[in-house]
Amino acid sequence: MEVDVAVIGSGPAGLTAAIHAHKSGARKVLLLEREEELGGILKQCIHNGFGLEQFKQDYTGPEYAERLIKELEKTGVQCFLNTMVTDLSSDRVITALSPEHGALKIEAKSIVLAMGCRERTRPSIGIPGTRPAGIFTAGVAQRFVNIDGYLPGKRVVILGSGDIGLIMARRLTLEGARVVGVYEIMSYPGGLKRNIVQCLNDFDIPLHLSHTVTEIEGKERVEGVVISKVDSNLHPLEGSEKLIECDTLLLSVGLIPENELSKKADVELSAATGGPVTTEIMETSVPGIFTCGNVAAVFDLVDYVAQTGAVAGTFAARYSSGQVSESRPSVDVVAGENVRVLFPQRCGFQDDLVLFIRAAEPVEKPVTIEVTPPGSKINRLYARPNEMLRVKIPKEKLAEVKQPIRVSIREK
Amino acid sequence: MAAEKKHFVCVVCPVGCEIDVVHDGSKIISMEGNKCEKSEEFVSQELIEPMRILSTTVRIRGSRWPVTPVRTDKAVPKRLFPRIMKQLRRIKLQAPVNMLDVVINDVLHTGANVIATRTMPRG
Repeated sequence: MEVDVAVIGSGPAGLTAAIHAHKSGARKVLLLEREEELGGILKQCIHNGFGLEQFKQDYTGPEYAERLIKELEKTGVQCFLNTMVTDLSSDRVITALSPEHGALKIEAKSIVLAMGCRERTRPSIGIPGTRPAGIFTAGVAQRFVNIDGYLPGKRVVILGSGDIGLIMARRLTLEGARVVGVYEIMSYPGGLKRNIVQCLNDFDIPLHLSHTVTEIEGKERVEGVVISKVDSNLHPLEGSEKLIECDTLLLSVGLIPENELSKKADVELSAATGGPVTTEIMETSVPGIFTCGNVAAVFDLVDYVAQTGAVAGTFAARYSSGQVSESRPSVDVVAGENVRVLFPQRCGFQDDLVLFIRAAEPVEKPVTIEVTPPGSKINRLYARPNEMLRVKIPKEKLAEVKQPIRVSIREK
Repeated sequence: MAAEKKHFVCVVCPVGCEIDVVHDGSKIISMEGNKCEKSEEFVSQELIEPMRILSTTVRIRGSRWPVTPVRTDKAVPKRLFPRIMKQLRRIKLQAPVNMLDVVINDVLHTGANVIATRTMPRG
């Protein structure tokens, strides 16, 4: 089959991209989802705090998803559920499998990659010890509790202070489990401040910074974990080991964009974000293949995910109707002082440059974000690695830019 | 009551000011560390009665999944969370359920309803 815009993935990024592709005039938009329902991971994020910026509403994840799904239903965009995309080529041919539609070859004028991300697991952080039952990533535990309706354990240690881990500390406590503590290897928390307050402090769950799990004990089931303090190089300090009894270890140790399909289409990936090298119109290195949301870079807020989805959908629609020229000048956007993650990584001068910036080190005093050229300086009250900074450089200001754009965070 | 000190992290906005408050048990005597006035309302309420939205799940029959998500439609006293959870554990809904359907009216006389946060079809 042939379509104007194909969107892969129906989480907040994909839903928003599909809606905006339709709004921007694409006639045939197809949304592909591997699960049996639309909405992606929002379905299991039953806590509130979604959409504060975009809708000025304090939604839960399922409510946020349902609002987008209802909006999508009005557009008449076609959705294929239970449809697994197995291959993608750089000339924009999608191979997919579905019980209902069989084996599919979809030729798309443009494609939006919106596959989201997945969690880092025990092997990716290399904890030694036995391999008993009772070790879960925080998101898997979230699915067990919120969708499948059962508790993964009764006495829980959480390693890593990412937002999902914090949310699960509260959730498991409400459901009657005892969360012994949250242990974070870094000297600052991974999750948002409001989650530290409302998920840990509210329930008297201790957060131990500069600590990590150095061993897991138990044969059939987790019986305990050994916790160690770490030094400033993040190496465990000998003699600081402490055994904590527990039957469950949750890992909230980071997210990785899921780019297996992107690689098949020879999309260039960024080492810093783990996602495609992307321009301000959310185009990847392969013309006509766009990306958005957590497959592009892991964002803190669903509002940011949706914002990139809107841009990707809009420009994918324009591309499909020939409104975006094939050859365009572009420059690199590069990380300068105290910038660990920067998105997007290229600027092609088609739209305002909206930068998402993650600081390398926390600065708890006023900072200036310098974007040079064009020499823009934007002030913020602080810069924290766990809270992305977002700044917008209007398109007009970039008209004369020929050199790479460098972004730095400096103390004021 | 004699003046006491308490530490708060304001969650009104993402800045998350760390605030040291001197209070008499229910009223602010003095506070420092906040960057704006909004913290004052937040801290005042925290001193009297911390209020939060509760979100959780309840059992459901006749649908694809065994549980479906719910929340209170406004903030309720945090100290009532265990009692509300206990009440919700006794409930079993029947599919279909529509988003915003009331699951419990005026839960524990808080003036808040517990509402469904997704549509759960039969199946």
